[in-house]
Amino acid sequence: MAERIGDSTPRLTGQALRITAGEPEFVAKVEELSGENLYACYQCGKCAAGCLFADHMDFLPNQVLRLVQLADESVLTSRAPWVCASCLACAVRCPKGVDIAKVMEALRLLSLRQGETGLRWAEIPPGVPQIALVGATRKLTP
Amino acid sequence: MPDAKNPSPITHHPSRIPYFPGCALKDQAEAFEESARAAMAALGYELAELPRWNCCGTVYSLATDDLMRHLGPVRNLVRVQELGETRLVTLCAMCYNTLARSSRFVGADPERLERINAFMDEEADYRGGVEVLHLLQLLRDEVGFEEIEAKVKKPLAGVRVAPYYGCMLLRPREVGIDAPDSPEVLEALFSALGAEPLDFPQKAECCGAYQTVSDPEIVRERVREIVSAARRAGAELIATSCPLCQFNLETHQSVAHHPSPITVVYFTQLLALALGVPEDKLGFAGLKFDPRPLLSERELV
Repeated sequence: MAERIGDSTPRLTGQALRITAGEPEFVAKVEELSGENLYACYQCGKCAAGCLFADHMDFLPNQVLRLVQLADESVLTSRAPWVCASCLACAVRCPKGVDIAKVMEALRLLSLRQGETGLRWAEIPPGVPQIALVGATRKLTP
Repeated sequence: MPDAKNPSPITHHPSRIPYFPGCALKDQAEAFEESARAAMAALGYELAELPRWNCCGTVYSLATDDLMRHLGPVRNLVRVQELGETRLVTLCAMCYNTLARSSRFVGADPERLERINAFMDEEADYRGGVEVLHLLQLLRDEVGFEEIEAKVKKPLAGVRVAPYYGCMLLRPREVGIDAPDSPEVLEALFSALGAEPLDFPQKAECCGAYQTVSDPEIVRERVREIVSAARRAGAELIATSCPLCQFNLETHQSVAHHPSPITVVYFTQLLALALGVPEDKLGFAGLKFDPRPLLSERELV
């Protein structure tokens, strides 16, 4: 498992991409679901710099992308995709044209389709409007 | 179904435009709809509610294989087609985004559209080509801000308003109604109304959106930043086009953080006010923080 923010020996960027004949299945799946070219990312960090929710993420958006490139499936247990609100600030700013929100959506869906949920029904605050409930259930439940 | 080549004079009057309300405008954002309809009437337009409209889905699916999520938006586009119309105007920024993106998504790939059409039993096939507009586009590109300025009856002189765009009017670029990081359409509108629009760095930042359900603490943080920045810029009002932004900015404003909350209005309420719409059609009573004390100081209500 890769180190998370704050760990003493971050080795996320120390790992080399292994170029093999076939793409790992996990990477191919994320690429297919997101429709994005994951290898376009060159780790400039602009997405993370402008992300309004990065403070609440265990991995920054660019790190999430790196973990996917490395086919590190532990990224599926990351909190980051659940915190991402699809505000698309990163998507319009990425100099390589990668829509990271789509990668986050793909990771959420891979978990949701395994039966995970990002919404605890019992903890839904009272009085939230329909527009918020529909949005949250569409994004955070299978 | 009306014949597209021989449209009925009622539905095809150029100033009568099919309008998609969405759930929020029939619920917590009634003030948005009421003020928009009154303002458009003052400008000589009728927002004609789309028959048999259904939920747009609120959030656009970002996955390539989630065709089912486009069914709701496409059904609404079929309703427009049934009227023999080619345009659909929205008020809610989230509906605008979802409908406009789905329209492009199915328009870009005949196979996707074919699958969705095959799934729909009751409706005629969607042929594509319905243009989804946000009311601000109609005001800017068709009515024109000069025309609006000429029709202002009560200039909002000295009203310092922070335009808050949020995300869905601006991003992604292909459906954004203005520059994603430096929009100006609301500023131009408020200037035409005689108000004083204020620039503030958080105007295109996310409020946290539906995280208000799953993680309200994140939203409270976002709202604190947005509202504090608007206040620092000297704002007396914040104006928005998104019912979810409006809800979040109102609900999560911390009174502990600042004793006097900033009123969060819909941009159509200011438009209607300036155009001389009677006070009972402005929907101010439906807001958590009533702007009328402020507006009466300026002798506007």
